[in-house]
Amino acid sequence: MCGIAGVMYKGDGVEADVGKALIAMLDGCQHRGPDSTGFALYHDAEPGELRLRFFVGEKEQAETTIAEIQDKLAEFQAELVKEERIGSTYAIIIRFTGDIQKLAYAMEHAAKLVSIGESLDIIKDLGGAFDVDDVYHVRDFTGSHGIGHVRLATESDVAPEASHPFWATGFADVSIVHNGQITNYYKLRRRLEKRGFEFNTANDSELVAVYLADKLSQGIPLKEALGTSIDDLDGTFSFLVSTKDEIGYAKDRLAAKPMVKFENDDLIAIASEEVSLNRLFPGHALNTSEPSPGTFDTWQRST
Amino acid sequence: MATIDLAKLSVREANELIRKAGAAGEDVDVLNPDAKHHIGVGLVHDVNVHVRGSAGYFCAGLTDTARFEVDNNVGWGLADNMLGGTAIVHGNAGAIAGVANRGADIIVHGNVGSRAGQVMKAGNLICVGNASFMAGYIMYGGRIIILGESGEQVGQDMTGGDIIVGGRINSMGKDAALTDLDQADKDEILELLERYKISFNGTLQRIANDGKQLRYSRNEPRVRNIPFFEATGEAGYWNEKVLEDIHIKSQIGRYRIRGYGTTRPLPHFGDIAFRKDLSNIETDPKVLEKINLKTKIGDRMGGKPLELSMPVMIAPMSYGALSKSAKLALATASRLSGISENTGEGGMMDEQRAEADLLIYQCLSGRLGWSIHDMQRADALEIYISQGAKPGLGGQLMANKVTEQIAKIRGIPAGIDLRSPSRHPDVLGADDLVIKIEEFREATGYRIPVSVKLGAGRVRDDIKIACKDGFDYVSLDGLQGSTGAAGNEVLEFVGIPTLAAITEAVDALVEIGHPGELPIVLMGGIKTGVDAAKALALGASAVAVGTSALIAGGCISCLQCHVGKCVVGIATQDPEHEKRYNISAEAQNIHHYLESLRWQLAAITEGLGYDDVHKISRDDLVALTPEAAQITGLPYVPEYRERDRDLLSEAS
Ligand SMILES: Cc1cc2nc3c(=O)[nH]c(=O)nc-3n(C[C@H](O)[C@H](O)[C@H](O)COP(=O)(O)O)c2cc1C
Repeated sequence: MCGIAGVMYKGDGVEADVGKALIAMLDGCQHRGPDSTGFALYHDAEPGELRLRFFVGEKEQAETTIAEIQDKLAEFQAELVKEERIGSTYAIIIRFTGDIQKLAYAMEHAAKLVSIGESLDIIKDLGGAFDVDDVYHVRDFTGSHGIGHVRLATESDVAPEASHPFWATGFADVSIVHNGQITNYYKLRRRLEKRGFEFNTANDSELVAVYLADKLSQGIPLKEALGTSIDDLDGTFSFLVSTKDEIGYAKDRLAAKPMVKFENDDLIAIASEEVSLNRLFPGHALNTSEPSPGTFDTWQRST
Repeated sequence: MATIDLAKLSVREANELIRKAGAAGEDVDVLNPDAKHHIGVGLVHDVNVHVRGSAGYFCAGLTDTARFEVDNNVGWGLADNMLGGTAIVHGNAGAIAGVANRGADIIVHGNVGSRAGQVMKAGNLICVGNASFMAGYIMYGGRIIILGESGEQVGQDMTGGDIIVGGRINSMGKDAALTDLDQADKDEILELLERYKISFNGTLQRIANDGKQLRYSRNEPRVRNIPFFEATGEAGYWNEKVLEDIHIKSQIGRYRIRGYGTTRPLPHFGDIAFRKDLSNIETDPKVLEKINLKTKIGDRMGGKPLELSMPVMIAPMSYGALSKSAKLALATASRLSGISENTGEGGMMDEQRAEADLLIYQCLSGRLGWSIHDMQRADALEIYISQGAKPGLGGQLMANKVTEQIAKIRGIPAGIDLRSPSRHPDVLGADDLVIKIEEFREATGYRIPVSVKLGAGRVRDDIKIACKDGFDYVSLDGLQGSTGAAGNEVLEFVGIPTLAAITEAVDALVEIGHPGELPIVLMGGIKTGVDAAKALALGASAVAVGTSALIAGGCISCLQCHVGKCVVGIATQDPEHEKRYNISAEAQNIHHYLESLRWQLAAITEGLGYDDVHKISRDDLVALTPEAAQITGLPYVPEYRERDRDLLSEAS
């Protein structure tokens, strides 16, 4: 139950105000989800480096968790390049060249891992877009693209780790924001688990992320994976997915969850409601369109 | 001309000004709309409103006679439930454009999203571009004109009205068929298009209801009293009732429909007791003067609360399932006892409005009899999501009861087996629901409470959503709740008992850190003031009575409400049967019964040593059975069973 938004700026090596744009768009649809807000931001990748973010909680508990994380990093011979404690999270950059999936699963057992990626950094916490920004300074983020989410917790708890975006557990740089409900969740999850994949949460959106990331890792293009997702996933869904250099959407055939998109020479923006898109262009009447039921599409970052 | 700048004002402030301008006969220009929701909601005056840009959800929703023009796009629910007037959109419209239209001309020059004209009843909806899937879904009347492509499944489950398509028909919906369009119709349509300066010179095709699913193919035979298999205490697995049930199904080939609630014995109020022995409580009528029973409900969000003389309401029961006479008797009784009456599904009658002091107006998925004018004269609004007798399903009104008169107030064709949709067109999740509630608040100037009726299924989740979405209170209905008509198996087996419902509801609010902040009006099998007092002790703010009020007013419990031939004139629309009902005498009887609840509530409160009925708490209760203890978490004290034996045998 929520609102979603995503933006990709065009042009080689753009450094656009993606953080500010997402904050505005999410604030615009905050009525759809006042409990928590989250952002998946894509930084420039440094070869050989990985970004990780963990929920570590407060005070002593945080100290112990961080110590455990550092032990695990040492075990994997990952070199700590940079670290920062902010909000309830611990964000690090490491130098690591081994198997990312192995590292990811091991780290996930040590602490609540939010995301891993060469570019990806997921920031999510309780409260509205501005509340989260106050703590994490999302507004300072510039780049080419990102996606975001506002959440109204229904079945699961109001907890930062139950918020979106979800990272495709085990796979670098794939993130998702999803509005809806996947009804064949357990069936698909069991299939993926049989193949050795792990899940961090019992949230259906994480499943969509892993489903897509699995396809990507087999060399299937994102667009094709989105196409098969419409057949393979049951339920109601409108979701946005992002990788290092692509964003895409898929919408189920019943179109029970809204989605509107706007594209011009500078950007492509997609959101649950036009009111979010209009926040990027106050006072303008936009030439928007509503993706048809059962459709999907992707946009590639200019490089 | 009034100019309203949404860059400077909130929509709420803007709508106040728009309504004021409307009352003064002044046209309105709306600047910087930036796709904001609810622009113009609740306007009932004959003025022009020009939106200079895009509007969001429910633009021109819940309005009458006004003329709206939007320069660019609109979101979901354009001109929701518009009674008359026009709404012209120059860009695209999102899903459910023209939903529940009741007589307006709604024109979209671009494309429309899915389910355009869902549950519409009258007026015109014109889409110059293409429509997405299921245009005309469950429409009851009026006309949809799509000049571009029809979209998939056009006319799905339509029961009345016409869909005219100028472009390609992508696919036909269930129970929709192509029919002839004669020259006179064509001329009328072209004239209509001309009036709105739309040129068209292709060929038009007409789609209408195919008539195959308007009625169940076989009626049910009448059956003996207590006709359902779980009702008897008789031993024997393949007992008489089971055999009868199977025989009937072998004839009708579908589930059986009946009225009333579950007939199974379930853990209920008789399975819990007051800790204190109340067998000697006061019988002095003066007890009423000593105890506060007054109850205020519905000001959580700042509206004017319902002020009840005691924590009791009349449960929502539809005019349609019940006769007008029975509804009027309930309204009168509610006034005499200083409590509230509820319209239930199917609209508000003038006489009912006049009779009841406090009238709650219920909005269901089919939007049958829903109108901005009645919203504005109601004391509270209630969004029906489901009810205890049939959680997850819509209302059912069998053809015998869908008379001309009922069809008219509901805005549907007469003589159909009416199966109301199980979902609201515009409430597909908690996120849309927020926007819907706000539409209702805008339409009524944030003056009156908005509640939600929930059948007890996943109470824990539902109550959390209801709390977060900002309802003023919840009407919570357990598995024991009754209905005018539902499938027997659903009545018996779907949902959770009333005791479990209130327990989960109270716990849910604690879990999200808002204990007691959302008042719960509990219903479903409340028979006495003792039941009511126990419900309050478990955490309800009030109770509502349906069946017991009907019985007090003459119902003989034959369980045949759905047949429409109610011999006492309650659950019927047959004038010959209704004639037997003596409104004023039955109103008195219902009133007397309500007064017995009052007396019992006061006497119990006094007996427990309090001066206010709302001071009764869980601590005053024990459970008499392991099941009831498990459900409620109350201490299990079987010893009290002996003490309350008389009460128990009464209750079961
Ligand atoms: C004849 C009849 C019609 C009803 N119509 C409605 C209705 O339109 N809307 C609604 O929310 N509940 C409806 N109900 C359910 C009642 O509001 C209420 O939930 C239920 O009757 C409470 O249980 P009780 O009858 O045991 O008191 C109806 C019930 C009956 C018996």
